[in-house]
Amino acid sequence: MEVIMKSLPYLFDGLQVTLKVFVIAIIIGFFLGLIVALLRLSPFFILRWIAKFFVDAIRGTPILVQLFFIYFGLNTLEFISLDRMTAGILTIAINAGAYYAEIMRAGIQSIDRGQDEAARSLGLTNVQSMKFVILPQAFRRMLPTFTNQAIISLKDTSLLSVIGIADLTQRGQVQIAATFKAFEIWIVVGVLYFIIIYLLSLLSSFLERRFKLS
Amino acid sequence: MTMIQVRNLMKSFGENHVLKDISIDIAEKEVVCIIGASGSGKSTFLRCLNRLEDITSGHVLIENVDITSKKTNINKVRQEVGMVFQHFNLFPHKSVIENIILGPMKARGVPKIEAEQQARELLGKVGLSEKEKAYPASLSGGQKQRVAIARSLAMNPKIMLFDEPTSALDPEMVGEVLQVMKQLAKEGMTMVVVTHEMGFAKEVADRVIYIDEGLIVEENEPLQLFNNPQNERTKAFLSKVLV
Ligand SMILES: Nc1ncnc2c1ncn2[C@@H]1O[C@H](COP(=O)(O)OP(=O)(O)OP(=O)(O)O)[C@@H](O)[C@H]1O
Ligand SMILES: [Mg+2]
Repeated sequence: MEVIMKSLPYLFDGLQVTLKVFVIAIIIGFFLGLIVALLRLSPFFILRWIAKFFVDAIRGTPILVQLFFIYFGLNTLEFISLDRMTAGILTIAINAGAYYAEIMRAGIQSIDRGQDEAARSLGLTNVQSMKFVILPQAFRRMLPTFTNQAIISLKDTSLLSVIGIADLTQRGQVQIAATFKAFEIWIVVGVLYFIIIYLLSLLSSFLERRFKLS
Repeated sequence: MTMIQVRNLMKSFGENHVLKDISIDIAEKEVVCIIGASGSGKSTFLRCLNRLEDITSGHVLIENVDITSKKTNINKVRQEVGMVFQHFNLFPHKSVIENIILGPMKARGVPKIEAEQQARELLGKVGLSEKEKAYPASLSGGQKQRVAIARSLAMNPKIMLFDEPTSALDPEMVGEVLQVMKQLAKEGMTMVVVTHEMGFAKEVADRVIYIDEGLIVEENEPLQLFNNPQNERTKAFLSKVLV
């Protein structure tokens, strides 16, 4: 017990790093996903193709390989130098972005065509129709899937420990090396992840209920 | 003044030639009803009038502006041409009043206060003042369609297009929607109405057009067309719908 209490502050530091990586990555990933989804729905073949290639490439490779490629691979190029934090956040963001893109594409396409037609009949531009009519409805519909993907991304952050980012997982390893209490420490680490994920899903169902009311 | 000029309009979906060669002039304040069998191209014709469908060949002029031309800003034209759909197409995530003010605010840049004031007047006009804050899901079909009409009117259009506005309604709600449309016609709105409501066409239309297989087969004043159709196909169609 004492060991655990002693290592808690270190683990909390790690948790902070995990949350920081997660929040930044998920925000970037969200907008990346939105852009890629819109490209996939654009009338231009070449843009659609680029977007599809990106999504397929990310979904068709392990995230660990993506991480190594970005951190070790890209960094061999002379004009690129990414510190581990940037590389880590980028990996999670790009990975989430590809999945978000698919979720958003499906969500946008699930909105009845009549909605866009009604908006454009009023004289709204395509962009305005997307922004004020299609996306707000699509996002509401996608919220549960969004949360799922966010939870997956949060878990993925634990992989960043392998390039030496001092996240919750990596701090756990360090604490075990110092205390030899593998059993207790991994339980604490697991519980901390669990609490965060539980809070995320609570937030999601709260938002869902709020949207339902309106 | 001619509001709508259609010249040799053709529209194909791939190999399916839906509109074959349609020409027609519609005058300011005129109410034109379009009748015809299912699949004859009525909706497609209507949707060509605000370019919701791209036109394969021919020309459509709205107030002498050729909307088939690449140079025409179609969004500007659509502000002047309201459209009411069979399935209402209200925005379900927006309240009634938000549905109505969206167009004026975003397309025309009307300030919110002003747009809301106008929306309230329109809601009064369609008899739904007390529903301002309601969401579409809580409205009956007839109420939804009246909100949809108010939403279109909020753009102060010069032309209103209606595509079977009462076909999706329970019979007891048809009247309230037709009532609003009659009022509009009386106020001098230029209207093109695809409808199966022959009673409405008889009472309100200046002209009825019978479309079959993508062609205007016959057009005339309603009483003439209904009581004394000239074309065999018109006769056959009317004998089926006028029981
Ligand atoms: N987006 C589309 N893509 C392909 N074909 C279409 C499309 N819209 C309409 N059509 C075809 O065009 C033809 C005419 O359709 P339209 O909807 O104009 O008929 P309508 O006269 O309005 O019929 P209804 O009374 O059933 O509404 C039909 O054969 C239909 O299948
Ligand atoms: Mg139709």
